[in-house]
Amino acid sequence: MNPLMLDNIIKQYAGHTAVDHLSLEVEEGEIYGLLGANGAGKTTTMRMVLGLIHPDGGSIRYHGQPYRTELQSMMGYLPEERGLYPKVKISDQMLYLAQLRGMKAADARQSLDYWLERFDAMEYREKRIEELSKGNQQKMGFVAAVIHRPKILILDEAFSGLDPVNVEMLKQVVLELRKEGTAILFSTHRMEHVEELCRHITVLRRSKPVLQGDLNTIKNSYPREKVVLRTSGQVQGLETIEGVTEVTRQDNGRYLIRIEQEQAAQHILQMAMSQGAVDQFEIKEPTLNEIFIKVVGSSHE
Amino acid sequence: MNKLGAVIGFTYRNKTKTKAFRWTTLTLLLLLVIGLNVPYFIQLFSGQSDKDLVRIGIASGSYTEVAEQIRESMGKQPAKPAAGDSNSSSGAGMALNGSEQTRIEWQTKPADPAQLGKQIEDDKLDGYLLLQKPAAGDTFPSITYVSKKNNLTVQSMLQAAAQTAKVRSVTTGQLTEAQLDEISTPVSLTRIALDDMDRPDGQPSQLTLENYILVYLLIILFFISLTMTGNMIASEITAEKSSRVMEILITSVSPLTQMFGKIIGIFLVGLTQMGLYAAVFLVHLMLPYYQQVLAQFDIHIGNLSWEVAVLGLIYYVLGYFLYSTLYAAVGSIVSRTEDLGQAVSLLTVLTLAAFYIGIFSMTNPDSLLMKISSYIPFFSPTTAIVRIGLGNMPWWELTISIVILLIAIFVFGWLSAKIYRTGVLMYGKRPSWKEIRKAMKAYKI
Repeated sequence: MNPLMLDNIIKQYAGHTAVDHLSLEVEEGEIYGLLGANGAGKTTTMRMVLGLIHPDGGSIRYHGQPYRTELQSMMGYLPEERGLYPKVKISDQMLYLAQLRGMKAADARQSLDYWLERFDAMEYREKRIEELSKGNQQKMGFVAAVIHRPKILILDEAFSGLDPVNVEMLKQVVLELRKEGTAILFSTHRMEHVEELCRHITVLRRSKPVLQGDLNTIKNSYPREKVVLRTSGQVQGLETIEGVTEVTRQDNGRYLIRIEQEQAAQHILQMAMSQGAVDQFEIKEPTLNEIFIKVVGSSHE
Repeated sequence: MNKLGAVIGFTYRNKTKTKAFRWTTLTLLLLLVIGLNVPYFIQLFSGQSDKDLVRIGIASGSYTEVAEQIRESMGKQPAKPAAGDSNSSSGAGMALNGSEQTRIEWQTKPADPAQLGKQIEDDKLDGYLLLQKPAAGDTFPSITYVSKKNNLTVQSMLQAAAQTAKVRSVTTGQLTEAQLDEISTPVSLTRIALDDMDRPDGQPSQLTLENYILVYLLIILFFISLTMTGNMIASEITAEKSSRVMEILITSVSPLTQMFGKIIGIFLVGLTQMGLYAAVFLVHLMLPYYQQVLAQFDIHIGNLSWEVAVLGLIYYVLGYFLYSTLYAAVGSIVSRTEDLGQAVSLLTVLTLAAFYIGIFSMTNPDSLLMKISSYIPFFSPTTAIVRIGLGNMPWWELTISIVILLIAIFVFGWLSAKIYRTGVLMYGKRPSWKEIRKAMKAYKI
């Protein structure tokens, strides 16, 4: 039984549908990417998973069972609008939140020390949240979400607003939790993080899942439409090849060529080789970013 | 249950740890100590001063005997002149009169008015009594008190003394000294409620000054602590909402636990504060010198009715829970602390109404308004206690009133929990009732 299973869930608010027939499954030790433009229904989905609101249709199962209050101690949540008590000492509020999640005081203290050590934030233990920088506040929010070692972790925009060093640190922690078997539902706008961390994704567009499945399968199903070519000299007549839609030459002498059919790539290579030495030739896989814009972007037209 | 304890503990610790809380508590304590000791200090500093010394001369003319009697009876007068509630001293005796005391010093030698008038001008005298020939038919002289200042205490003391002197002079030789004394003692009239007539001793059961003060204090305590803690609850919840920590909280604890944890936590904070004040008050009551002060007012702690005190506390706690759940609900629908004042205004009006109905009906505790109000849960915490302490409230009315209050707590607690559950998820501008209802439906709460 997978830790988290959403089956055809529907949520309607006063006439408009916030989540429309969404199904997904998160395995143990998996980071599942939930993507979508702002207002696509990600937060509503997460709130339903957390049991804050009930779906109008469909069902959510946790290890095969419906929602029950005992789950509260098994779930961790880092909300998008992260917040802690601004005027309360970090150790105080962390221990409080851990206790609310059902931890014993002694265990909570131990766990807090571990996580503060892990995030290199031991010196903030007795400080207040309002004294911390935004990035550090976010780290504390993360600590609050994982202090009780949840089995199901929900991260809404976990990495936004962090510098690269801290992003790396948090990423390592997320990977560590995955290794320990935590099921993680993860939303972000940074596609490179998804490519790096997630195996399965769902892209929501206007409340509906429009793209779903294994990340590699999705990428392979999208045609490779970009060729990178670097030659010593200029290559004439690239535009004339059938299937080429756009040729741009970058300042460093590289050509970026958009193609409609993959066969066109071979013609490009032949033409380039006939005109001189080829330093680099690559048919680029579509990035998730491009796929996302393609799938979601059309909705803004 | 464990979580409820955690919420209560966290709320209590954080509230009592704040500087604002400590300073207000300390300042109020200090003010209370000062306030309680004001009468003592005034006595201490002004006791021997001439400020309250009234020097009176006598222009007796041919009525030296009458003048002598007035002076004499002034000296004998008990420390309770005709001036109603105010006590004052007479002659050489000294007694406390709340915060002031009056001593009278007689000029022994009679003089003529012109001479005395000059002495007043020179500030050697405060006034003099002028005894003149009465209107035709009377034997007792007409008496005038000539003074620059209008001192009502002195005048009423003189009036009483003159009255005694008159009785003496009119009945010369016909009455014994004991009879004369009895005549000069004022008649005492007390009221006893009809129901109390059945009591063997015929004593009023509860209508004592002590209970009056107790009821007064209970109403004020209810009002002050309710407004204070109510606003604390509402603003705590709004703060949790606006700092977004609420999103984590509602995923870890059920809203009901969270709400009642907060309410109980703040209740304990309020109780701590009130307990400190009560302790200071009680310590004062125990101090020997303070017993004297109380005795001057004829107040004896032993006269306090436990029934009123216990029922008062029960109503206080029940009323607190009724109002505080509503404060919690209001706090949960507001997203920003700035909007809170407006949102709680309806509750403020309710508390004010409860306060004023109670306070203004203390002299008339059995009116129809009071009877009706003591069944209305929002008003019964103050009105029922007035009826119990100062009027008559049969036990069955009391039971109905408490049962209604309990039902109201459950109904409004349930409703508030629902609103709370919905409200904490709603951000942005303050939602209307319609929007809340819609949201409740949408969230399936």
